[in-house]
Amino acid sequence: MSMQEHHTGGSTEEQVVEAKEALRIRRPSRIQRVGDHMRREWQLYLLLLPTILWLLIFLYKPMYGLQIAFKDYSIFRGVAGSPWIGLEHFQTLFNNDQFIRALRNTVYISLLSLAFGFPVPILLALMFNEVLNQTFKKTAQTIVYLPHFISSVIIAGIVITAFSPSAGIVNTILEWFGVDPIYFLTKAEWFRPIFVGTTIWQEAGFQSIVYLAAIAGISPTLYESAVVDGASRWQMMWKITVPSIMPTIIIMLIIRIGNMLEVSFEMIILLYQPATYSTADVVNTFIYRQGLQGGQYDLAAAAGLFNAVVAFVLVMTANTISKRYSRTSLW
Amino acid sequence: MSGVQLKSIVKAYGAVEVVHGIDLDVNEKEFVVLVGPSGCGKSTTLRMIAGLEEISGGELTIDGRVMNRVAPKDRDVAMVFQNYALYPHLNVADNIAFGLRIRKESRAHIEAAVEEVSGILGLKEYLERRPADLSGGQRQRVAMGRAIVRRPKVFLFDEPLSNLDAKLRTQMRAEIKRLHKRLGVTSIYVTHDQVEAMTLADKIVVMHDGRIEQIGTPMELFLNPVNAFVAGFLGAPPMNQIKAVIAAGDSGPVASFGSQTLELAPLPELQNAVGREVIVGVRPEYANIVTAPQPGSVTCELDLVETLGSEALLHMTVGGTPFVIRAETLGNLGRLDDVNGFTVTPDLIKVFDAKTGLALSGQKRVA
Repeated sequence: MSMQEHHTGGSTEEQVVEAKEALRIRRPSRIQRVGDHMRREWQLYLLLLPTILWLLIFLYKPMYGLQIAFKDYSIFRGVAGSPWIGLEHFQTLFNNDQFIRALRNTVYISLLSLAFGFPVPILLALMFNEVLNQTFKKTAQTIVYLPHFISSVIIAGIVITAFSPSAGIVNTILEWFGVDPIYFLTKAEWFRPIFVGTTIWQEAGFQSIVYLAAIAGISPTLYESAVVDGASRWQMMWKITVPSIMPTIIIMLIIRIGNMLEVSFEMIILLYQPATYSTADVVNTFIYRQGLQGGQYDLAAAAGLFNAVVAFVLVMTANTISKRYSRTSLW
Repeated sequence: MSGVQLKSIVKAYGAVEVVHGIDLDVNEKEFVVLVGPSGCGKSTTLRMIAGLEEISGGELTIDGRVMNRVAPKDRDVAMVFQNYALYPHLNVADNIAFGLRIRKESRAHIEAAVEEVSGILGLKEYLERRPADLSGGQRQRVAMGRAIVRRPKVFLFDEPLSNLDAKLRTQMRAEIKRLHKRLGVTSIYVTHDQVEAMTLADKIVVMHDGRIEQIGTPMELFLNPVNAFVAGFLGAPPMNQIKAVIAAGDSGPVASFGSQTLELAPLPELQNAVGREVIVGVRPEYANIVTAPQPGSVTCELDLVETLGSEALLHMTVGGTPFVIRAETLGNLGRLDDVNGFTVTPDLIKVFDAKTGLALSGQKRVA
């Protein structure tokens, strides 16, 4: 529009309004702002790119395949070519005793792991924090971190050997007390304690690092102030350390709840056997057997999707509750 | 008597000694300020008194009882920290009550004590708030509340106002002073801020490199610093120091520097020190400005005028040495533009030995 056109036709009042509009600094739109930021900080976005690509390729692209949970999938017809069958697989699953058993086991094992496994890293971190001898502290930390870096296959091998009825250390000790050897790994009632104990042994030390880092962030003057006030080490632990790392504990709990149904299935596969399926078979091992071994990919996808939806609901609920009551949340 | 005595107190970390055998008597109800530059050992000394640092040598007594091996909680001291040391997960009331709860005092006693202390410190309306929801000054008051609620024998303050802005610091300084007057508890206060030291202290202890340079009332230290370090540390701006040689003048000793001289007080210790290398100390407020050479005046060049309102700081150079004069503006800054020299009453000039830094002359007049 030319200047002449701009000025013709309008009253003085309108012109003033237009001039004011023109003078007003326009606030850029959100997209413009993001675009500007990306142009200015392109190096940072470049660093972010590999992670985004990884997420897209390995986490988002496979979601395309989730639709087979609602299809009568055939590998010959492909994902797109297979016919839709609605919620039939879900109906099949909930009429399947094995799935119901796996679901029940998953919940049991998850709750046991949460109840016994979640506090252990916190207690370990609190104990490490109280150790004054640095050599002892470092040695102990190395020993408890070590199982995390050992392959699950080796860990399972150690467990199987330790609970062996003939030469296992557990049965050897029991024999000293006159107890007959127990076939731990073939008895369904022993599977859950052994599994939960093994995962705690394998991961608790490594998980304690998060809490140790949180403890390291507590201002030393809080303790000095408490010392002058007359607090004992025990009181300082419960009245300063634990409350100070509570936000970290809550965040870890929310994450843990989100992963609750993701029972470490490699370890289960390594430790379970048909004799212990009644207590050991979880949703993930069920999916593995149905999907990979049984070739029922669509049914396995439905089970997996169900697992994911439950996990999503759990993490959302935990986060909302935490946000409301403790002012701590993941987002 | 709840005084504090330090006898030859030493602090060493391995082979490195950081506090070299200091002696100090803090009388009951006295407000003593340990002041000195960073790293002079003042906070370490305070922490030794609190029991947060082990004493490497010497003897500490509180209330007549040797405390070297006594746990901090049994020393009956309370400490206020620089960063407040408030528990972020507790509200103001619980923070104040923390020490009492630890000592398992009765609920009724705790409630009454928190009520009283929050009243004294004006915190009643904030009792339910958490530290994160308070301003710096309010947090500092809560920290003081935590200290006074236990009614200890000794208060220890470790740079409690350093994190506050200038205005709030002035306000809190006055509050601390009022609180001390009201409670009358023996207090030891560490700061690197000489203004805090001068305004708060009954007695100032100037420390440097792990040693006590001088102990005295604020005015004693201001008027009669025992050495050039104390003279340069106290006072804002600090005392001007010019290297000179004592010479015999017509009517007494003079300090000679470059081609100029400055008349000194006719004291025997100066008359007998002719030819000695010295440091001449002149407080910025004792120099009288001149705009034309006068008998006994020192010529200098004006670099910069800093206006403070009723006063101005004139940054001059005397033979290349910086020299600051505090002068009244009398509402007309222009009158300071032509300043080209100063005079000083000889009695107000301090003279220090150039090698040892020790004072050769005492101040004769109390301003």
